[in-house]
Amino acid sequence: MQGRQLLVKIRPPLNMLNPIVILQSIVSGLLMGGIFALFGVGFSLTWGVMKVINIAHAAFGIMASYIAYWGLTLYGIDPVLSLCLSLPLLFVTGLLIHRFLIQPITRSRDVVVASMILTFGLAIVLENIMLFAWSPDERLITTAYSSQVIFIGDIIIKVSNLIGFILSLMGILAIYLFLYRTCTGKAVRATWQDPEGAALQGINLRRVSMITFGIAIASAGAGGVAMAYMYSFNPPVHNLWLIFLFLVVIVGGVGSVIGSAIAGLMIGLITGLSGAFFPMQWVNVLLFGLLMGILLIKPEGLFKK
Amino acid sequence: MRKRFFKKILVLGLCLSIGLVVGQRSPSLAAEKPIVIGGSLPLTGTFSATGKWVEKGYQYWADEVNAKGGILGRPVKLVIYDDKSDAKEAVSLAEKVITVDKVDLLLGGYPGTACTAVMPVVEKYKMVYVSMGGHMRSFSQGYTYSFGSPPLMGEWWYLGFFEWMKTVPVDKYPKKAAVFTMNNPIGMALMDSLYKGCKELGIEIVIDEKYNLPLTTADTMITKAKQMKADILFANGMFPDGVMTLRACKAFDYSPKAIVQGIGSVIPEWTKELGKDGDFVFSGTSWHYKLMYPGNDKIIKAAKDKFKEDEPPLYFGFGYAWMQTLQQGVGGAKSLDQTKIRDWLKTNEVKTIAGNFKFDEKGLPKPYVYLTQVIGGNVELIWPPDMRTHEPVYPKPAWK
Repeated sequence: MQGRQLLVKIRPPLNMLNPIVILQSIVSGLLMGGIFALFGVGFSLTWGVMKVINIAHAAFGIMASYIAYWGLTLYGIDPVLSLCLSLPLLFVTGLLIHRFLIQPITRSRDVVVASMILTFGLAIVLENIMLFAWSPDERLITTAYSSQVIFIGDIIIKVSNLIGFILSLMGILAIYLFLYRTCTGKAVRATWQDPEGAALQGINLRRVSMITFGIAIASAGAGGVAMAYMYSFNPPVHNLWLIFLFLVVIVGGVGSVIGSAIAGLMIGLITGLSGAFFPMQWVNVLLFGLLMGILLIKPEGLFKK
Repeated sequence: MRKRFFKKILVLGLCLSIGLVVGQRSPSLAAEKPIVIGGSLPLTGTFSATGKWVEKGYQYWADEVNAKGGILGRPVKLVIYDDKSDAKEAVSLAEKVITVDKVDLLLGGYPGTACTAVMPVVEKYKMVYVSMGGHMRSFSQGYTYSFGSPPLMGEWWYLGFFEWMKTVPVDKYPKKAAVFTMNNPIGMALMDSLYKGCKELGIEIVIDEKYNLPLTTADTMITKAKQMKADILFANGMFPDGVMTLRACKAFDYSPKAIVQGIGSVIPEWTKELGKDGDFVFSGTSWHYKLMYPGNDKIIKAAKDKFKEDEPPLYFGFGYAWMQTLQQGVGGAKSLDQTKIRDWLKTNEVKTIAGNFKFDEKGLPKPYVYLTQVIGGNVELIWPPDMRTHEPVYPKPAWK
C-alpha cells in the first residue's frame, strides 16, 4: 500500500507530460549543460595533465563574473566583451600561480592531495578578496537582452542562456583546436598521456604545465561569465559551483575536452528531463545516482581513452 | 597676601568637597563594573554576511544604551565570538561564555540551526536567550528560558498573505496554486501556513514539488506551472532560486494573479538587481523598518549615517530588537538573576521595533507575520492594515 502511494505521488499529472514540457526541458537542459561543460573543461585539463585538482577553479570563475558585472554596471560593457579584459588577466594570473604556488608542490609525494589543500586555501583567499572588493551581496547580470526570448514554435529559448551556450561552444572549440592543432597543444596532450615519454622527447614539462594552468584559469573565467548569465552569484557561491565541476569531470573523464563537453550536455539533459517527468526533488537523486553508476561501471569516466 | 592665599585654599577645598560629594552620589558610568553580554555569531563562513549585520545591530544597541547610562546603572560590554557559521562551534562557544567567561547575559545567535543547537544549552544553565529561534520545532521542546522576540517562524510565514487575501472579493481569489519549495527545514517550515491558507480559501494545489539547492534550472518548473494553468505561484526559496524562478516566469510569459516569494524579496538586492521585474512579488517578514513602532526612525538614521545604507538591513533590525527585549527583561526584573528576568518576560509585554509582544509558555508571541509587496522598487507593507504603507497591486500586471 505504501509503495502504491509513493508511485501515485511521484507520477506527474498526465497533462504535464505533453510534448511542450518535454521539448522545453530538453532545450533548457542542453543550454544549461553547455555552460557547465565550459566551466568544467579547464578543471578537467589541470587534473588530467598536471594531476592538480584546482579547488579554486570556480572561485576564478566568480572573479570573472564580478569583472563582467563591474564592466556592465559601471561602464555599460557587455559581459561577453568584458572577457577581452578578464581572459588575458586570468591567463597571466594562472601563469603566476603556477610559477609560485603550483610548481613548488610538484615535488610533493602526493601532488593530488597537496594541490587540493593548496588550492582550497587559495579559494578561501580569493573568496575573502572578493568579499572585500564587492561585499557579500548577491549580484545578477542584467543586460538589455536578459529578458528577451526566441520562439521556435512553442519552445522558448532565453537569449542570455543562448549567448552563454554559444560562448561555451566557442570556448570548448578554442581549447580543442589548441590541443589538437597547435604544437604546444600536442605537447600538452603528450604530457597528459605519458609525462616521462614526453620529457624524453624534449618537451619542457614545466612550460607545458604552466600554459595548461593559464588556459584552465582563463577558461574558468569564460565559464564564470556564462554561468553568471543564468545564476546570481556572491563570493562564497564558488563552493556550490564546484559540485558541477566534479560532476562534469567524473562523467566526462579526467583531462578529456570532448568528454567534458558531452558530460556537460548530458548533465543538463538529465536535469531538464528528470524535472519534466518527475517531481523536482528527484532530479539530484537521478543525477547523482547516474554518477555513482558511471563510477561503478567505468571509474575512469565515460570518455577517457 | 595671606588673605588671598587663604581664599585660594578655601575655593580649592570647596571644589574638592563638591567633587567628592557629587562623585559619591553618582559614580561615573565608566567606573562601574560593566554588565558583560556574550555569545557567538557567524562572522566568517556561509552566514557571515547576515551575521555581521546582527553584530552591528547589537553594537548599535550597546552604544545607545551606554550613552543613556547603561542598564541598572552599569555600562554594557559585548563579548562576541565567531562561530564560523558552524552550529557545533556555536554550542561550544555558548558553553564557553557561560562557564569560562561567566557572562552576565547571553546574546542571541544566528542562523536558526545555531539557535536550535544552543537552546538546550541555555536551558541547562538556566540563562535567558532571546533570538529568532529555529522555527516552531525549536520552541516546542519545553524550553523555558528561550524567547523569540521577534522570532523567524516559517510556520507563520503566509499568515499575513492569507489574512489579506480574505479581504479580496471571493470571485477574484486564485483557483489553482503551483508550489515549489526548497528541500530543507526552512522550506518545509513554510508549508504549514501555506496548506492551511489554501484550504481555507479553497485554492487547489495543482503542483507541490520540492527541489534541492542549488536549483540548476527553473524553466521546467515554470513550464509545468503554466501548463497546469496555476494562477498563483508560491516560490518557497531564497534569493538565488527566487531570481531564477522570476526570470523564468518572465521568459515564459507566465503571469499568475500573484507570485509569492518565500525569502529574498525583502532584501535590497532584490529590487536593485531585478529592477522592475522584481515588482509585485508578495512575501512575509517579522520586521520591517517601515513599521510604525517607536525606534524604527532611529534605526533608519543609524543605517544611513553609520553604515551608508539607504534601507536598514533586516538583520540589523533583528539584532537590535532582540537586545531591546533583553534590556526590558533586565530592567523589569531589576536584577541580573536569570529566572527573575525570564519570569518578568513571561508575564509582561515588551515593546520592540518589530512590535509589542507578550510571550506564551513556549517563549513565543501571538502568531504574526507582516505581508510585504514589492511595488515600484520598494518593499511596501500591505498587512496588517494599520501598518499599510501602500495599496496592494492585485492581480499582478502582465509582464512588460
